[in-house]
Amino acid sequence: MDLLTHWLGNAPDFAVPFALAALGLILTERAGVLALGAEGLMLVGALAGIGTQLGVGLAGLSLLAAMIAASTVSLLFALMVLVLRINQVIAGLALVFFCQGLTGLAGTVFGWTNRPVSGLHSVELWPLSELPLVGKVFVQNPLVYLTVLIFIAVVWFLQRTQTGLHLRAVGENPQAADAAGIPVLTYRLAAIVAGAALIGLAGAYIAVLSTKMWIADMTGGRGWIAVSLVIFARWSPWRALAGALLFGAIEALIPQLAAAGVRLPQYFVLMTPYAVTLLVMIWVALSSRESASQPGALGEPFIREQRR
Amino acid sequence: MTLSQPSVSPRQPLFGRRYTLETRQQMALHWQALVIGLALLFGLAICALILVGAGVPAGELLNEFVVQTLFDAQNQRAVLFQAAPMIMVGLAGCMAFRARFWNLGLEGQMIWGAIGATAISLFDIGPHALRLPLMMFTAMLCAMLWTLTPVLLKLHLKVNEIISTLMLNYIAANFLLHLVYGSWKDPRDNFPYSPPLQSFERLPDFLTGYNVAILMALVITGLTLWYVGISRAGLYLRFVDANPRVADAVGVPVRKMIIATVLLSGALAGIAGFVVTVGQEGRLTQSFYQGYGFSGILIAFLARNNPVAATVVALLIALLFVAGRNLQVFYQIPFSMVQLIQAILVICVASSDFFIRHRIRRIQAGDC
Repeated sequence: MDLLTHWLGNAPDFAVPFALAALGLILTERAGVLALGAEGLMLVGALAGIGTQLGVGLAGLSLLAAMIAASTVSLLFALMVLVLRINQVIAGLALVFFCQGLTGLAGTVFGWTNRPVSGLHSVELWPLSELPLVGKVFVQNPLVYLTVLIFIAVVWFLQRTQTGLHLRAVGENPQAADAAGIPVLTYRLAAIVAGAALIGLAGAYIAVLSTKMWIADMTGGRGWIAVSLVIFARWSPWRALAGALLFGAIEALIPQLAAAGVRLPQYFVLMTPYAVTLLVMIWVALSSRESASQPGALGEPFIREQRR
Repeated sequence: MTLSQPSVSPRQPLFGRRYTLETRQQMALHWQALVIGLALLFGLAICALILVGAGVPAGELLNEFVVQTLFDAQNQRAVLFQAAPMIMVGLAGCMAFRARFWNLGLEGQMIWGAIGATAISLFDIGPHALRLPLMMFTAMLCAMLWTLTPVLLKLHLKVNEIISTLMLNYIAANFLLHLVYGSWKDPRDNFPYSPPLQSFERLPDFLTGYNVAILMALVITGLTLWYVGISRAGLYLRFVDANPRVADAVGVPVRKMIIATVLLSGALAGIAGFVVTVGQEGRLTQSFYQGYGFSGILIAFLARNNPVAATVVALLIALLFVAGRNLQVFYQIPFSMVQLIQAILVICVASSDFFIRHRIRRIQAGDC
């Protein structure tokens, strides 16, 4: 029983990075830009967050710095795919490797590696936090609650505003959007930068609020899991949130089982998120509905002269 | 090559409607080389600035990267030593890309190659004289089996191979840790590695200090060149690369070609894992594979999937690795610098393609 309470209480903490990263990816990919660089941008956010936290010590400012840093680096990606028309797969992979190298170098040169920081205090949502069994779910740091608000805001933006409609049009059929007078490249630039801010926030959450220190390559493939989560969610934010909770629950279970004294081969347990990702990809393929909801122009560069 | 009308567009004017961007039909080879060369120079200049910023004296850069690595005998040997696995992962990247398969699982395949080779040694299988060939064969087999899953998933279920191969890397890496911290750990000391290989299980030197691995790499380059350039499979592969549907229609066994080529790519990565374990480390270690996956893809990309070019690029990357290790020792520059330099070079070369394929033209009066 105690195990269950703790597990449920910890799951949101592990789910938030997946959720925020997946939301950022959805925002970018709904505009038709294939964003494979999430793993790298999360690292940039994580490092910038820790750097600010070590220097200034205000968690809010650290999270903001992480968003700005990831957005700034994403401008490089935007330059590659929007201006220079590089294949979006190559550009995304190059961005991941660039960020891995950059953060590894900067973390060591600035001496930020393995230095613990203080995170944020938890906030209780009274009276929900007094509930039996699920009470601990409502004792979380403020960003967990903020994540829910961010989700509502992004869904409202995508579904209920004209700008959101334009953004989706750019992702579905850029030629038609262009003919309707929507500035395709401007929308894609904005989507890349805004998506990167959310992905950077996800990285900072891991570093500043969860792990509370910087270790090189600390995201450990979570950015890639987020990429597959978006496919699993068929580009719908709410389904992505559900998927993030699933992965959060799996990750939260690992330390709980160890604490409960369950003897499992440690490294096989550490494999589970990746194995589950693979299984989820297979499940999506078998149910084969994803193609219908994929943004129509995902991964295609928009070049006005080259009409289809 | 079909010639379509050059797409001149007065619709997308740049800089106050005086200039326009248009697609080039073709660019002479020497101009292409010049553009790529300039892009590389630009990238190297950025890398030099970062290195100076990270604490390497500007005057020492040329010394560290060129003079030391090319003219110092010990470093020369280190470069050739490093080049052997690098050439193999580069060729592995080339093979996979020729089959239009994003094989990001080179590291996982290397791990399985190393595990397979080490298993033969640990369980003492086969006579001593045949031990090395048997280890290499097992390495290839294990790596190919590991590669089979993503390629079948891609062909039958259209599962994105970028994600599946990456996930399999993490799984393989954790399995490696399970072995070297667990049942395969050397009982004699406390480090996470397997017991050392015996002397007849190590790759010998063909000259003092020059390991036979580099010769193996060159032979494999020749075989790869034969496969993609001369054999019937290579011809089929070019068909598949140009247009899979047409290839299928004229009777090329598209699926078989893709599966065989991707498995070969996995086998090459497996041999790379074998070479690192048997040639360099002498035992199964926990992080021998790190950095090779990205380098393999980078080599294939820069070499445009050409095996001979890949060998040359792999030599240069090996040089970069050796220089990077020296920088680590002498200036405490972390090894991530090497990855950063590689990423910057990839971005610059990829960007140069834009200038090869487009030109900016001034709009003359009366053009529109």
